[in-house]
Amino acid sequence: MKRLILGAVISLAAITCFGQAKKPTLMVVPSDAWCTKHGYVKTFDNQGVAERYPDYQRALQEDTDLLLVISKLGEMMADRGFPLKDLESAMRSVRNDAAEDAVTLSKEEGDVLAETPLEALKRTAKADIILQLTWTVNKTGPKQSVTFNLRGLDSYTDKQVAAASGTGAPSFSAELPVLLEESVLAHIDNFNNQLQSHFDDLFENGREVKLTCRRWSGSDVDFESEFDGEELGFLIEDWVAENTVHGRFSTADATENRMVFEQVRIPLEGANGRAVDTRQWANGLRRHLREAYNIDAKLDTKGLGEAIITIGGK
Amino acid sequence: MNMKKLLLMVMLALPVAATAQQHKQKTKKANVETSEWKYEIAPVSVGTQGNVVVAVWSDSAAPVVAAEQAKKNAVHGVIFKGIPSNGSVPGKRPLVQDSAAEQEHAGYFDSFFADGGAYMRFVTLTGNERDVTKIDKRRYRVGAVVVVNYDNLRRELENQGIVKKLGSGF
Repeated sequence: MKRLILGAVISLAAITCFGQAKKPTLMVVPSDAWCTKHGYVKTFDNQGVAERYPDYQRALQEDTDLLLVISKLGEMMADRGFPLKDLESAMRSVRNDAAEDAVTLSKEEGDVLAETPLEALKRTAKADIILQLTWTVNKTGPKQSVTFNLRGLDSYTDKQVAAASGTGAPSFSAELPVLLEESVLAHIDNFNNQLQSHFDDLFENGREVKLTCRRWSGSDVDFESEFDGEELGFLIEDWVAENTVHGRFSTADATENRMVFEQVRIPLEGANGRAVDTRQWANGLRRHLREAYNIDAKLDTKGLGEAIITIGGK
Repeated sequence: MNMKKLLLMVMLALPVAATAQQHKQKTKKANVETSEWKYEIAPVSVGTQGNVVVAVWSDSAAPVVAAEQAKKNAVHGVIFKGIPSNGSVPGKRPLVQDSAAEQEHAGYFDSFFADGGAYMRFVTLTGNERDVTKIDKRRYRVGAVVVVNYDNLRRELENQGIVKKLGSGF
C-alpha cells in the first residue's frame, strides 16, 4: 500500500514537472529600419558587397528612449505572466560564453573546446517570439506625434503572429518619452490579444516548423530507394503524417535527393508529457529511419523551427 | 398644540418621502433599462497605465440617475462590447470574446452589475458635467466620461475563470 501511494505521488510530481508545454520566450528587439534610421548599424564587406546589420549593443548603450520602451514593454508583459528575455543581457551572455569557451582547456591534455564554424555562427541571442519594435517621430509645426509599430515574429516560422501599430494624438507640449510611453499603453492590450490567439492556435493545431531531408552524395540510399515495395520518400511522408497534429503538413519539394516539408504542425507535448521542440521531434524520424530501414542519418537544426535530416551517415 | 405640530411634521416629511420614492422608482426603471444594455461607447484618451478613459452615452427617462447607470454601461462595454478605435486612440477588443459567456456566467454577472455590485471597484466617473440631450418626449441621451480600471477588471475575470490568462496552458 505504501509503495502504491509513493508511486502515485511520484507520478503526480512527474506530471506536474513535465506535463506542460514549454512556455515561449519573448524578447524585444529594435527593427532593422529603426537601427538604420538612428545610425546603429555595422557594415561589413561580404565578398565585395557592403552589407549592413544592426548594432544592438550600441543602440542599447546610447539610446535612452529605446531602453524606456523596452522597460515599459517588459513591465507590462511581466504583469501578464510573460517576463521578457532581455536583449542586452542575452547578448552579454553570448559574449561571455564565447570568451570563457576560448580560454577553457582540458586538465590533462590542455585541449580546447571543440566547435565547428557552423556552431560558432549559430551562437546568437534567441527567443521563441521576437517583438520587433519601430517608432518614428512626426513633426507638424510645433506639434509632434509618434507612429508606433510592434510586431511579434515567430522565430520558428518567421511569420508575424501579432502586431499593433498606429499614430498617437499630436501634442504641443508632451515630450518624446511621454508620447512613447503612451504608445506602449495604447497598443499593448491589442498586441497581447493577438498573441493569445496565436497561443490558442498552438494548443489547437501544434507548433509550426519546417523539416528538410537530404542525402550525402556518397549514400547508397536516396528518397526513391524502395523498402518493402514503397519508396523511402513516401515512407517518410507517412511518418510525418502520423506524428503531426491532425496530420497537418505540406510537402513543398520531393526529389530523389531532397524533401522539404513545410507548415509541419508538431505537438507541444510528447506522449510522455514532456515538452517537445523541433529537434526532439525530428529525432523521432532519425530513430525511425535507423530502426525500421537501417539508415543512418545526421540531425541538424537551423534556428528554432527548422530540422534538417541528412541520410547516409553522420 | 401637539396636533398642530404633528400635522406640520407630516406635511414637511411627505414631500421628502415622495421624492425619495420617486428617486427609487427612477433608479429601478433605469436598472431595467440598463439591463437591456442600450448604450454607445467610444474612447476619449489612452489613460494612465492600466486604465481606459471612455465616453458612454446611455438612453434614459431620468437624466438624474443616468450617470450612475453610465458606470455600469462602461464596464459592460469593456467586458462584452469592446471599444471602437477613435482616430489617434486605438480601440480594444472585448475582454470576453466568447459571446455565450454572458449567459454561461449569468449568476456572477447579475450580482456583479447589481446596485453597489463589484463593478463599482473598476469604474470612476470623471467630473460632474454630463452631456444631456432630449431625444423624444420622455427620453434623454446622457453622456458621461468614465475611467475603467481595465487591468484590474481583466484580472478579476481571469480569477473567476471567465477570461483566459495570457499563455494559460504553458
